[in-house]
Amino acid sequence: MLKPITLEIVLVCGALGVFFMDLFLPSRKKKILGVFVLLSLVAAMGLSFLNIHYGSFFETFINDPFSISLKRIFLLAAGLTVMGSITHSELRLGRREGEYYFLLILSLIGMMIAVSARELLLLFVGFELMSVPLYVLSGFDKRNPKSVEGALKVFLFGTVSSSLLLLGIGLFLATAGTTRWIPGDSPVSMGEPLGVIALAVLFAGFGFKIAAFPFQFWVPDTYEGAPTPFVAFLSVAPKVAGFGIIFRFFFEALEALSSVWTLYAVWLSALTMIVGNLLALPQRNVKRLLAYSGIAHVGYILLGLASGSQLGLTMSVFYFIAYLFSNMGAFLVAEVVHRSTGSDDLDAYRNLNHRSPFLALAMLVFLLSLGGIPFVIGFWAKLYIFLAAIDAGYVFLVFLGALLTVVALFYYLNLARKMYIDEGKEEARVSIPFDLYLSIGVCAAGVVLLGIYPKWVVQIAEKAVSVFLGY
Amino acid sequence: MGIETFPVLSLIVLSPFVGAILLLIEPQRWYYAIRLTSLFFALLSLLGSLYVFAYYDPSLGGFQFVERYPLIPALGISYHVGVDGISLVLVLLTAFILVAGVFASWTIPLRSKEFYILLLLLVTGVFGVFVTLDLFIFFLFYELAVLPMYLLIGVWGSSTTIPPKGPFKTAIREMGVGGKEYGAMKLTLYLLFGSAFILVGILGIYSISGAGTFDYQALYGVEIPSHLQNWLFLLFYVGFGTLAGVWPIHTWSPDGHAAAPTATSMMHAGVLMKLGAYGIIRIGMGLLPEAAHVFSPVIGTIAIVNIVYGAFGAMWQRDLKYVVAYSSVSHMGIVMLGAATLNEMGINGSVFQMFSHGIMTGLLFALVGLVYEKAHTREILKMGGFARCMPGIATFFAIGGLTSLGLPGLSGFVAEVLVFMGAWKSKYSWWLVPAVFGAFITAVYVLRVLKWIFFGPFEKKEHIVDASGVEWIALLLLSAILVVMGLYPKLLLDPIDVATVEFLGKVLR
Repeated sequence: MLKPITLEIVLVCGALGVFFMDLFLPSRKKKILGVFVLLSLVAAMGLSFLNIHYGSFFETFINDPFSISLKRIFLLAAGLTVMGSITHSELRLGRREGEYYFLLILSLIGMMIAVSARELLLLFVGFELMSVPLYVLSGFDKRNPKSVEGALKVFLFGTVSSSLLLLGIGLFLATAGTTRWIPGDSPVSMGEPLGVIALAVLFAGFGFKIAAFPFQFWVPDTYEGAPTPFVAFLSVAPKVAGFGIIFRFFFEALEALSSVWTLYAVWLSALTMIVGNLLALPQRNVKRLLAYSGIAHVGYILLGLASGSQLGLTMSVFYFIAYLFSNMGAFLVAEVVHRSTGSDDLDAYRNLNHRSPFLALAMLVFLLSLGGIPFVIGFWAKLYIFLAAIDAGYVFLVFLGALLTVVALFYYLNLARKMYIDEGKEEARVSIPFDLYLSIGVCAAGVVLLGIYPKWVVQIAEKAVSVFLGY
Repeated sequence: MGIETFPVLSLIVLSPFVGAILLLIEPQRWYYAIRLTSLFFALLSLLGSLYVFAYYDPSLGGFQFVERYPLIPALGISYHVGVDGISLVLVLLTAFILVAGVFASWTIPLRSKEFYILLLLLVTGVFGVFVTLDLFIFFLFYELAVLPMYLLIGVWGSSTTIPPKGPFKTAIREMGVGGKEYGAMKLTLYLLFGSAFILVGILGIYSISGAGTFDYQALYGVEIPSHLQNWLFLLFYVGFGTLAGVWPIHTWSPDGHAAAPTATSMMHAGVLMKLGAYGIIRIGMGLLPEAAHVFSPVIGTIAIVNIVYGAFGAMWQRDLKYVVAYSSVSHMGIVMLGAATLNEMGINGSVFQMFSHGIMTGLLFALVGLVYEKAHTREILKMGGFARCMPGIATFFAIGGLTSLGLPGLSGFVAEVLVFMGAWKSKYSWWLVPAVFGAFITAVYVLRVLKWIFFGPFEKKEHIVDASGVEWIALLLLSAILVVMGLYPKLLLDPIDVATVEFLGKVLR
């Protein structure tokens, strides 16, 4: 039986290791740092499969299947990012690789604490530990003005979200008289208006992290400027963390108010889907396009929250996994193309099929998965979410979602058209560095294999949300 | 394994898929191997279909050759296939068009391997849709039938120039109307738009029925409250109607079909549009009988609009391929009209028209492809007198055209007469008048096109020659079917009638 915070301790050791190795390694050997980080992530991943003690610190920090599953998702996302960053950091980051990995791990630890917390102040600490490194990393490419602009945006929005969160915690404390919660014993009841306000404010605070409408403004600018492998991480892990916090807090502590927050989730879901999909249409920059499409996907995941049921929750977790592979894969392909052509423009993808058949095929698979086409995992994700929502009676919302999928397919297919149909002038082959080859390969394999056999993911998701049974 | 239990339907469905996989590993330069592989698996499907057709027992009726394996028991999804008289005919149609399509694209110049792979994948989806009895698997196959289209049209298609004029000229120029990219994108988006409706409808039936299964036969007996039936039916009507080319959501069809390469147009206009009509009849009307009664006047009236509007649209065109594409819209109106009559004769005619129109439009698109290949133009006004240098093509074109306008002795006549008589016997006998008027317009545009292209003054050009080699096979095969079915329609009508009677037994109850 391992101690409850073993995973976090391992990662802290990894972070400190990176920090000190960075001081002593000569600059041409800094690649080792990436490998070292990867190893510590793998170690943490391995440990997560061992038997970990359930709770500690008076049950404010818990390791139930839900938090463990989410931690594995974070580790996977971080692993893929690090895999894709090794040559990137060498080329672009100068001698600052140590800081890059150090901050990445710190953010990861913050997420892991936040999804395990059953106490609002601990949750806040985790939330901040997750967010602050992300601000720094967003502006890591400091010679690029766009990167600085994006970092400033995410910083300003992020601080607002943190203060909202604190306000929400204060209101919650005022109503409930405690910052802790015990599942099944809702400290706030329907009759207290202050509780409902606390709920709304907290939802807004989390809404920034998951980039739901109307808190999505920072997303495209930040994604455009930040280093692409990091964007792959930023587009998945913090969102999953935000959803993880929301799920735990709402289902365990605010169960009594479920009629209120499902209503919020319904509206947020509808608006987020509409805004994300429609604003993605005119984008010419692939990273911005994927940013908006990511916003739209948040809308679909909110559909699972809106169903307010066990099934909806399961399917949301399924969606995380589907989204992780497809979205990260797409961003990593964008990184390779950027390195080869120096541009993220849609036109940089012209005729990619000839320049690198592997890359074009991988991108096609990711796009199909994001678009929700059968036989890849994204289809099952959408289908299951729709099934859960229909079960909860939101036929109209599902209808809207299904129609917007078609809108989404327009911009995904537009990119596919550039790769496969449009003729391009340049015929120079794209060379793919080994690390990116590997990470893109893993994503593509995940998308295809899990698309053929989704049952396994369903089982994982079912096990993860089994802790919420009966609420 | 005895002959009774041999999974012949799975053979039909999977053989193109296996062919596609095999092609994947063949190198691009094996010119004949690629074509022969495709042909082999296409013929295998055709043999299977003929076997099913020959051994389907009309006296028993119902679904035969049934296979069933559970796939996801938790959600009630299973691989459940079987054919009745209606799907039987459509499977046969698909197999014929597939074989003809393989021959018609024999001379495709560029990336033929990928072309055949996508074509075979597409056909797998189509076969799957016609034989499956599980709504969920139905949807999967449906998507498989739609998606390869995008690349097939986008890569191998052909563009035409439409001069931008009229109030929308800016939009026409900006979007590249007439281009293959435009056609491909329009077709794909429309069909996926339709599939969104279908998906919601299928999930709705699943959820409302409470039976916890997607199985068609299990859902067949479930009563669904009538106000919900109406909404679900609307979803299916719009969803499948998009694919069936129902006015006013047909506009993808002329653009898409005109831009598509020959075999794809044949497959799409010949078979995929039928898939929409099949979906409306089988799922929409079959599972939601009360709503079918409520909506049949609407369906019939819109079908009338289709017939007349499509015919006028075809008359207006200067591009040969657009003429055939618009005639498809018109003929799909006849199919939908037959379905809307909700009587034995009308539905028999509707299914017969699906088969007849599928073969006919396949033939016409193959011919248009040949003419374009030889003359390098699709503009009707730039052609003339071609009967002198391509007598064979002219003959076959005449056969196809005469079927289209419903000449007795060819299969189109049988179908149209059945549908018209059904319309006359239905509650709304006034449908007959505009429908017959549409048939008249059809005669006008078909004969005009024949006259312009094949007769009249002729300029001798070296490259304008008759069809050659394997191209004949496709033409012969398809026109032979048109003649045989015109002279002896009982061959198809027997199984169709059994299925129709059963179907109406449920709907009219």
